[in-house]
Amino acid sequence: MTVREIMWTWFYKLASPPYVYGVSAALAPWALGGAALAMGYGLIAGLAIAPPDYQQGEAVRMIYVHVPSAMLSLTVYTLMAAASAVALIWRIKVGHAVAAASAPIGASFTILALVTGSLWGRPMWGTYWAWDPRLTSELILLFLYVGVMSLRLAFEDPSRGDRAAALLAIVGVVNVPIVHFSVVWWNSLHQGATIVRLGAPKMPGSMLWPLLSMWLGFMLFFAAALCIRLQGEVLNRERQSTWVREAVKS
Amino acid sequence: MMSSSFWAMGGYARYVWPCYAFAGVVLAWNLWSARRFRVAAQLRARRAAQMSTAAVGEP
Repeated sequence: MTVREIMWTWFYKLASPPYVYGVSAALAPWALGGAALAMGYGLIAGLAIAPPDYQQGEAVRMIYVHVPSAMLSLTVYTLMAAASAVALIWRIKVGHAVAAASAPIGASFTILALVTGSLWGRPMWGTYWAWDPRLTSELILLFLYVGVMSLRLAFEDPSRGDRAAALLAIVGVVNVPIVHFSVVWWNSLHQGATIVRLGAPKMPGSMLWPLLSMWLGFMLFFAAALCIRLQGEVLNRERQSTWVREAVKS
Repeated sequence: MMSSSFWAMGGYARYVWPCYAFAGVVLAWNLWSARRFRVAAQLRARRAAQMSTAAVGEP
């Protein structure tokens, strides 16, 4: 079997609801354990070990929550759009389930990014909110999440709701590079990219490692929450199937 | 860092601690709501299975 055949076999397996349900159930505790370890180290190192910034002082410690949540808000939206595209192009129903399970988690991390950004902005910029390109595009991202979730529920026929939400998710993905590059394309109060940029990160290791650890922790936490929510989505969508009847009986 | 100066966060405590507290709330909500969603789905699936078994059992 070639690598390509193995990849396709795995891809087709992911289209199988019982397989996805089983994999999600197996992965969730491991992802949650990994998230606890990474966040534990990130919290201790970020709050107590990393030095204060020479300009921002101790207020810089907010970035250990703000940056991972902002990065996750974009990553989750991209995943949701990719899952929606897979569902529409290959008619793989699990894609809709992944998109539906991702949306509330992504929306909550977008709210977290906006709130923590506001809390950081007050002492640094002198205001909780400014109609800055980065902040405004992140707020639009939140509206897109809310729109995708609302649209899914707006139809009596769930499959029509899935398709409409998938279309909006795919169209809305254009906002993801806008959020990321807004600090480059327009004059922005917000600082430029520190980690995801061409060249080496601009941050010293004593601050970078806690930040990367928190980012890994947030990613693993998202994976765990997604796996748990995905099991519910699959069960809701497949509850008339024989395998679900067998699964809930056992 | 001394304990009191740690909690003071260089005068930024009123911003730093609410930031971490809100993050804790969001993480806890995500876990709680995901689990609640799964439990509700399991209950619905179990009920559907019972109904179909009852329907098959009817004359």
